[in-house]
Amino acid sequence: MTMLPERAPGAKRLGLVIDLDTCVGCHACAVNCKEWNTGGEAGILPDYDKYGPEPDGVWFNRIHSYETDGQGCSRTVNVPRSCLHCEDALCVTVCPTGASYKRVQDGIVLVDTDKCIGCQLCSWACPYGARELDEKAGVMRKCTLCIDRIYDEHLPPAEREPACVATCPSRARHFGDLADPDSKVSQLVKERGGVDLLAGLGYRPTNKYLPPRRATIPTAPVKPPAPGGKGIGAALLGLLDKALSR
Amino acid sequence: MRPAASVLLLTTATGFGFGLLAWLGAYSVLGLLPGHARVLVAAGVATSLLFASFGLGASMFHLERKERAWRAFSQWRSSWLSREGVAAVLTYPVAIAFAAVFWRDGPVIWARLLGAAALVASLGTVYCTAMIYASLKPIRQWHNRHTAADYLLYAVFSGAVLFATLHTLDLGAPGATASAAAAAAAGIALIAKRAYWRHIDAQTPLATLATAIGLPKGIEARPLDAPHFTENYILRQMGFAIARRHAVKLRRIVLVVGFALPLVLSILAGLTLAPMTTTTLAVACAGIGLLLERWLFFAEATHVSAVYYGRRI
Repeated sequence: MTMLPERAPGAKRLGLVIDLDTCVGCHACAVNCKEWNTGGEAGILPDYDKYGPEPDGVWFNRIHSYETDGQGCSRTVNVPRSCLHCEDALCVTVCPTGASYKRVQDGIVLVDTDKCIGCQLCSWACPYGARELDEKAGVMRKCTLCIDRIYDEHLPPAEREPACVATCPSRARHFGDLADPDSKVSQLVKERGGVDLLAGLGYRPTNKYLPPRRATIPTAPVKPPAPGGKGIGAALLGLLDKALSR
Repeated sequence: MRPAASVLLLTTATGFGFGLLAWLGAYSVLGLLPGHARVLVAAGVATSLLFASFGLGASMFHLERKERAWRAFSQWRSSWLSREGVAAVLTYPVAIAFAAVFWRDGPVIWARLLGAAALVASLGTVYCTAMIYASLKPIRQWHNRHTAADYLLYAVFSGAVLFATLHTLDLGAPGATASAAAAAAAGIALIAKRAYWRHIDAQTPLATLATAIGLPKGIEARPLDAPHFTENYILRQMGFAIARRHAVKLRRIVLVVGFALPLVLSILAGLTLAPMTTTTLAVACAGIGLLLERWLFFAEATHVSAVYYGRRI
């Protein structure tokens, strides 16, 4: 069913909050995502030309690094990009087969790969570039928010979070219910002014990004080395410099 | 956006087929088809369904899992792609019934009603095809008021030149109405294409890199490191770019071959100047021009997700 579900009162909206201030761009989240989602029985994240000159494959999570200027400083901003599990997910409504769907109970957007015909229209409909074609199986793949981890009762409760969140060494990724205003993630979004990516397009993404904070440690501009100076001493030093440089 | 041959052939060929069917339907509704036109109607409907089938067949090559294509008829409530499939399949029985009734009874009221239904169904299918593209918000060159109107216009235009050819085959001349219609459609299509290009050239990108990554106002961003060293699926599909100078040349070719030549040829055919040759040439020119036009429609379209890779959008 590719109609978007009516949101039931009290339904969860599970998603990620990603802190662009503390992300160090180490790609650990992408690697652990790849490991977790490939390691299962299905082996659903294929690679092509693995050891050749043009390695390629499906990734649910891709990490970009940017340089930014403004607010009186230059800095590096790392941006992990993955499915944002949008409220108005056009990738779901364009699907002709019902393979793409959004779960009523928690808002997670999934692909039923037994129904997908690989028309790839959903990848065109996603402004975030979050859907990729599995060129081996001929079906679309996307982030599942590690649905097979977060609900797995065999895991200790503390581990029931997406692989990318579990592995982040700088704690830049947070997982929780964004429909609950009192949840840790909602509080974080509130405190830090979390934003929607490409908000103008109106997809109402669930995942939020915390913008980089202003540098609070004042840094003085570096002074250029003092010129040689004036007077007889400086003139003598200048002569000495010339003689030694010859 | 990457221009895939399957999709170019789909939209161009169904445009010819359903456009022709729309003209047959319109002629029948307006009572312009005399009783002896049964061969024209039968051959016309057969030709239109042949073109449509060729296009729909080509579209199958766009699917990675063709054996599951039947599932695409299920989501007509939300998906324009699904609606296109349903509309296309519904058009066949209507068109066949139209031809059959006309063959048996001539331009009776039932034939005219079925002609009207064929007109609605065929243009409805073209509209659904257009809306697949027009509904995609991340692609500014498609998500605008031109797309749906243009697809309908090009279908009507290509159907008109095809109709004039069949008319000539059947009766030796395209007739004043058919050739005037073809010439007028070519002219309107030409104006519409130029208006579309003016529109997309004046658009501003949907985002800058800074807004795409949610930076506060006043901060600018430029790419430092891409996620991977090699191209990936997203870049192959959405990162397709065409050099500006090539686009300018190709646009000129589209205007001349796709629209201006069919316009002139249709007028010549209307003046009964070697009508068989001129109408056939008009169809060939329109075919080549519209394929190229469709190629440009994809090649010039930019997807907002490419901005994350620092590409022009």
